[in-house]
Formats: sequence, structure tokens, C-alpha cells
Amino acid sequence: MVKVELRNILWIQGDFKLEINRLEVKEGEFLTLLGPSGCGKTSTLRIIAGFEKPDKGEVIFNDKVVNEIPPYERNVGIVFQDYALFPHMTVFKNISFGLEMRGFSKEEIKRKVKWALELVGLSGFENRYPEQLSGGQQQRVALARALVIEPELLLLDEPLSNLDAKIRERLRGEIKRIQRELKITTIYVTHDQEEAMAISDRIAVMSIGRIEQVGEPLELYYKPKTEFVAKFLGLSNILEVEIKGKKAFVDDYFLKVETTREGKAKIFFRPESVLISKEGIPAKVIGYELLPGRIRLKLEISGQEIIAERFLNELPFEVHAMPDVIKIEILPKDITVLK
Amino acid sequence: MRGAKIILIFPLIFLTLFFYLPLVSIIHEGLWDNGFTLKYLIEVLSSSYHRGIILFTIKQALGSTLLTLILGLPGAYIFAKYEFPGKRFLKAILTVPFVMPSIMVALGFILLFGKQGFFTQLIGRDLEILYNWKAILLAHAFYNFPVVVRMVSSLWQRVNPHYEEMAMSLGARGFTLFRKVTLPMLMPGIFASSMLTFIFCFLSFSIPLILGGYKYATIEVDIFTSIMTLLNFKVGSALAIIQITLSFIFMYFYIKSLDLYAKAEEQRIFRTPKKLDFKELLSLRGLLIIFYSLIVFIFIISPLLAVLYDSLIYQGTFSLEWYRRVFSKRYNPIFGASTMIAIRNSLLFGFTTIILSTLLALIVAYVLHRWQFKGKNIFDTLVMLPLGSSAITLGLGYIRTFHKPPLELLGTWYLIVFAHTIIAYPFVLRAISAVLKKIRPNLKEAALSLGAKEWKAFLRVELPLALGGIIVGAIFAFAMSIAELGATYMLYQPEYTTITIAIYRFLGARQWGSASALSVILMVISAISFIIIERIGEEIW
Ligand SMILES: Nc1ncnc2c1ncn2[C@@H]1O[C@H](COP(=O)(O)OP(=O)(O)OP(=O)(O)O)[C@@H](O)[C@H]1O
Ligand SMILES: [Mg+2]
Repeated sequence: MVKVELRNILWIQGDFKLEINRLEVKEGEFLTLLGPSGCGKTSTLRIIAGFEKPDKGEVIFNDKVVNEIPPYERNVGIVFQDYALFPHMTVFKNISFGLEMRGFSKEEIKRKVKWALELVGLSGFENRYPEQLSGGQQQRVALARALVIEPELLLLDEPLSNLDAKIRERLRGEIKRIQRELKITTIYVTHDQEEAMAISDRIAVMSIGRIEQVGEPLELYYKPKTEFVAKFLGLSNILEVEIKGKKAFVDDYFLKVETTREGKAKIFFRPESVLISKEGIPAKVIGYELLPGRIRLKLEISGQEIIAERFLNELPFEVHAMPDVIKIEILPKDITVLK
Repeated sequence: MRGAKIILIFPLIFLTLFFYLPLVSIIHEGLWDNGFTLKYLIEVLSSSYHRGIILFTIKQALGSTLLTLILGLPGAYIFAKYEFPGKRFLKAILTVPFVMPSIMVALGFILLFGKQGFFTQLIGRDLEILYNWKAILLAHAFYNFPVVVRMVSSLWQRVNPHYEEMAMSLGARGFTLFRKVTLPMLMPGIFASSMLTFIFCFLSFSIPLILGGYKYATIEVDIFTSIMTLLNFKVGSALAIIQITLSFIFMYFYIKSLDLYAKAEEQRIFRTPKKLDFKELLSLRGLLIIFYSLIVFIFIISPLLAVLYDSLIYQGTFSLEWYRRVFSKRYNPIFGASTMIAIRNSLLFGFTTIILSTLLALIVAYVLHRWQFKGKNIFDTLVMLPLGSSAITLGLGYIRTFHKPPLELLGTWYLIVFAHTIIAYPFVLRAISAVLKKIRPNLKEAALSLGAKEWKAFLRVELPLALGGIIVGAIFAFAMSIAELGATYMLYQPEYTTITIAIYRFLGARQWGSASALSVILMVISAISFIIIERIGEEIW
């Protein structure tokens, strides 16, 4: 187990600039890098693995700067998006490669490969070549190959993105199980927010070239610090308001907020936080969409659009008899004032 | 790449000493006479004789390219669109020219198209193909149309059928459809293979030398005669400078066209060819395919058969007399050594060339595809330029560079090998690059992350995966070394006679039978190369 830190990292590649002031991954933690395509997730991973050298800053494993240590001495297990299995080697040879490099004896290699194959549920596939395996099986071999060397750190770069939805869900459960079992510090890259929420201890949300916010899944979901994070995870509502003494005004109406800020600001809340009530702010209904058991309403408050999502049985009126204007309410604890 | 930069030393030193230094001495020779002078360049350019030759060189290269396209494009179409019984065999046949020495093919042409030639007798008229531009064009097409078939068919398979269908639904059909929709998409392939053909024909030596007779010389032959017969190094160098300048310009366009070609080839769409069974082969379409295959087969095989047949006929009857003669003499006055020595030399040069050029190409290919560093563009260009130099120019450069200390290497056998290496290396580079490009860089990274050091990752992961291309490249090198005539001729001593030189000498002495017998030996060696390439060589297709 290792604690990983990035400090004042700057990495420039052409006109792309990656800047990470501070990122800490605790011992045994499962941290996910989540962000849109091209934001620098893979690059961050490659810097940690030692394939790329940062132009500035330090990569630190357990308080030791490892910038100058080559990848083959970092003891880091990696699973690439396309698995990068050696096509000319059998499953056994692929998995034993790292052990051979470490000079283990034949018996030990056999024992460890067997253990790794059992761990990922692929016993009996030793003599197959990668091309004779399905995508999911290849993925497991890649995982076994990375784990068998008992790495202190596991890096997974979108390991499930090439698989179909069902297998993806099953495998992500297995990855989580194995990670817990081995208590291995893990950094996981994905651009799938659902996957990130389901699997991570903490998530680092990235925008182009930087980290926006790091936090536990629910914290990020309900308390995003920036508009980018708010919009990136799930559906979000952002209102432009004027805050005067814990009241956020939209025209003449206001919502109560818990903040010390004053003046113009943006507030954020989730669609499911919008309550339909007798009292409150009037909102024009401009459309709705039925979902299984739920309804998604498109509303307008003095020119600003928001979305509300409720269970059907909570509606105080029939869907067919939808009024033109309804009244809504949002609890102060569900509202975040954005930076 | 930490510290690994050391491996760059070998290609840099080798190319500097055995390519760039000779190049500089040619430029010095041609532009220097107690100071900078354009005298010799002007002398060459103002002589109508040399101007005629320069013009003819370009004309024959254009003509050859055109003929090559005419012969190659139908093949490209057939290969892209149809799967039929015998296609594999046809493919194999198309590989033959890659390994057949041009002097042997030239001899085959003489035996076919001469006054007593098989072809001449068959049709009962002398079409005056030999010692004429016609023979040169035909022989050049022989070597290059398989390249057109390969490169264009690869693109043709990738033309998205939706474009054609879309255009058809909009009313385009027949030739309009082809011209407006399909052809533009094939253009990168046609252009790149044409450029390659053009450069080959522009620089080719043995074919115009032997098949062009006295009247039809090319710049390459002109340089050769200026130096070897007239001993006029100044004029030879001036000609070489003109040749190099032109060929580097052509090279520039070739490399540009290769970029376009590579981009077009990246297209993922890949239509599987339509399967034709035996019955469908009897339709009009099938018969046309059979007709084309037959022409190709006859065209490629007949020069070889002519040589084989001629070697077995002595005074009108079947006999092994020519072989007996060729092998019996311990010393053959025509080329000043024994046949066994010539064979030994050819093999020795061939194998040494394999080692040097493969090593050179492997390092360069690896750096090209795996490393990023400042000035890489310059590196790319510098390592590609040898492709644009000709054998004779190289020979001339060697004569001017290595005749005096500190590098007095003229007359050694390894100087010949160095020349072969420079000539073969661009082709080895291409074969190795082709496979290296396909190996994803993250395989190496996976190996590194598992604890393998750079060299171990290379040895265990990349090398085994590139092996096919490396072997094909090595065989190319061997075939080219065995076939080389021009540079070898300029640098050799009698004891370093090779098979090709011996054949050339026999041709000069008009001893066709002996030349044929030796050519058959060359053919057997080349056939072995051919079989190895066929076995592993999906890479060149
Ligand atoms: N070798 C390189 N040369 C030039 N630009 C590069 C290189 N590697 C990465 N980049 C650029 O850096 C940026 C970040 O790339 P990176 O692969 O880290 O993104 P990512 O977040 O992993 O994206 P994806 O989700 O698509 O995998 C991209 O804009 C990319 O174009
Ligand atoms: Mg990525």
C-alpha cells in the first residue's frame, strides 16, 4: 500500500497544459479521475506511472519523490483501455511476464499465476492466446497481469469502456471486490459518471487540464463547488440570483439559502430537490416528460429554466390536468451557492 | 530513452561516412576546380548529347510509369473486388519481381525479343522491342506493376460503398461514377505508387544499360560511361549532381504522397471482396479476370522460363553443357575468377548486407516510430535520403572518397558491402517500419510497468512482434545485394567478382548460354528468398 501525492505538477504537450496543484490518494483508497474526453486523465495516470515526466512538480509515493525513478522500478500495476495484452504470448505467459522480470522461481511463478487467475475467475485459460478471448476475458487477464506482481499501486485507465453495458456492471463490481480484498491503493480513470459514483471512495473531477474538485461521491453530487462539477454529474439546476441577507432573490421572489455571501451569485440544486407545494415561488410549466414512475418538469422562473423531478404519486394534481403555473420550494440545505 | 541515445551512433556514423561523405565529394568534384565553378554543370547542360540523355531519362520514366499503371490498375481492381480460385497463387506470382535480379530479367528479355528470340519467332516478326525504349519500358513495368496492384487495391478495398451508392442514387453511373467518386479516393494510392515507379525508373541502371543498346542511355548509364570508359570524373560528377537534384525533388513528392496514402489507408472501412466460384469464373467478368491473370502470369514467368530454357540448350539439343562449362573452369578469363568464387562472393556480400542493413534499419525505424526529440524532422529526412541516390552515383562517390587515406577502402570487399547496405537499407526500413507502426506503443509500456527494462521490453515484446517484418526486410536486403550490378562493378576487383558481374561479362562477350546458366543459379538463390517472403510475408501485401 502506498500513499500517492502530486504536487505542483505542470505538464505541457503541444498546446495542452496539465496543471495539478495538489492531489492526494490515501493508502488503500479507491480514487477515480472523472472528466470529459481530452481533459488529461490518461496523461495524469501516465505521469504517475512514470511514462511521462512532468515539466514541473513532484510525484510522491509515501513521502518519497519518484520523478527520477523509471516505470519498471515503481512497482505499479497498470491496466490500459485496450488492455495491451502481449499478442504473441499465452495468458500464462502474459501474467508471468512481470514475475519473470522479478526473477521468481518456476514453482513460485506457477503458484502466483494460479492465484491471480483464480482471483479474476479465469482458471483453465492458461494456454489461450489473447485473440482467443472475449473482451471481458481479456480485461480480466490484463487485471491479473497487473495484480500478480503485487503492486503497491494499481492504475486503471478506462478498463471497462470497450465492453458492453452488462459486463461492464459486473466487472466493475469485481474490480471493487478485488481492490477491497487486496487493500490496494487504486486510481481509476473513467468518463462515465455512473461508474465513478458506483465504485469510488473519492472522485476527482477534471476539466481541461486541471482538477476541479475532489470529494466523496455524494459530496460532489450535492455540494459541487463549481458550475463545471455541478453540470458534469447528473442533471443540475443553476439560477442566477442576487443574495441579500441569506435570501437569494429572483426578481421579487426569493429562496432561503445558508450562506454569508452577498450580491450577485449562482445557486445550484438538483432536480429532485425541487418540491411542489402550495406556498413558494410561482413557476411556469413549459413542458414535461414521463419517466418510469417519475415525471420530469421543465419550469421557468422569470426567464430562467429549471428542471424538477418528482415521483408521480407525489404530484398534487393529475398529469392530464397540469396547471400552467405551479408553486415550488427548495429547502435551504439542498441549495449550494457556487463559487 | 534514458541513455539509450547511444544506439543512434551507429546509424549516424554509418550514414555520414558511407552516404553523406561520398555525396559531398561528388558535389566537390563537380562544382570545384581550385574554387567554386559551374563550368562542368554548364558543359553538361549545354551539350545536346547530355541534354538528350537527361530528357530521355525523364521521358522513359514517364512512359514506364504510364505502362505500369495500365498494367497494374486492372489488377488493383480485381484484387480489391474479387475473391476467386487461384488468387493466392496470382498474389505469389506478383511477388516474384521483388526478388528477381534485373540483369537476369534483362537477359530474359534478350532471349525473348531478340532476332532469334522465342517471342519474335512465335509471332514471326521482329517488333524491334530490343535495344530500344520499348524493352526498357516493358522491363520497368515488369518490376513496378505489382507495386501499383498492391498499393491501389489496398485503397480500393476501403472506398466506402455508401459513397458510390449515394452517387448512384443521385444519378451517376458507369464511367462518370468512377471518375467523380471512386477515382478521387484512389488518387493517393495511384499517386504514391506512380512516384515510386517513377523514381525507380529514373534511377534504374542494369535495364537501360543492357536493353537500351547504344542509342538509349539514361543519366545513370551516362554517368557510368563517363567514369568507367572516359574516366571523366568531372563530367560524371556534374551529371550525378543533376541526377541527385532531380531525384531529391521527386523524393520530396514521393514522401508527401506517402503521407496522403497512409492517411487514406487508415480508413477503417474494409469491404471483403466478392467471392467468385468456378462457375462464375465463366461469366464475362470471370473471363476478363482469367485473361488478366494469364497475361500477368505469362509476363512474369516468360523471361524466367526463357533463361532456364536457354541454359539447357546446347547446339540445338538439351544438355547440361553450359553448366559444365561454367563450373569446370577454375579460372574464367572472361571475368577473371572462377564461378565458385563468384557464388561465394555473392553469398558473402548478401549475408553481410543483411546484417548491416537490418541493424541500421531496425535502429532507425525504432527511433522514427518510438522517440520524440527536437530536430526529429531533420532526422527523418536525413535517414530517408539514401532512397533517392542511385547505385552509380554512390559508386562514384565511393571512388572519390575512399581512394586516399585516411579512409583508403577502395578495393576492399567490405566497401562493396557498405554500398549494398546503403542501397538496400531504405527498403529494409520500409518493411520494418510497416510492422513497427502496427505494434501499439502501450505494449512496451505495459512491459515497463511490469518491471522490464527498456531493452528487455524491446527484446521480449517488440522484437518478436516485429520479427516477420524484420525477416522480410532482411530477405529484401539479401535479394538486392545479390542483384546489385552498378555500384559493385565500379568498386570490385577480379577476386570480388559476383554472379551478376560474371553474367554481365558473359553478356558483353555474347556468351548467352553461359550467362543463362549462371542466371539460373541466381534464379535459384532468388527463388529461395521468394519462398521465405511468401511464407512470412503478409507484410509486403
Ligand atoms: N503525445 C502527445 N502529443 C500531443 N498532445 C498530446 C499527447 N498526449 C496527449 N496529448 C493531448 O493532451 C490532452 C489530454 O490527453 P489525455 O489522453 O490525457 O486525455 P484523456 O482525459 O485521457 O481523454 P480520453 O477520455 O479521451 O482518453 C489531449 O488534448 C491530447 O490531445
Ligand atoms: Mg484517456
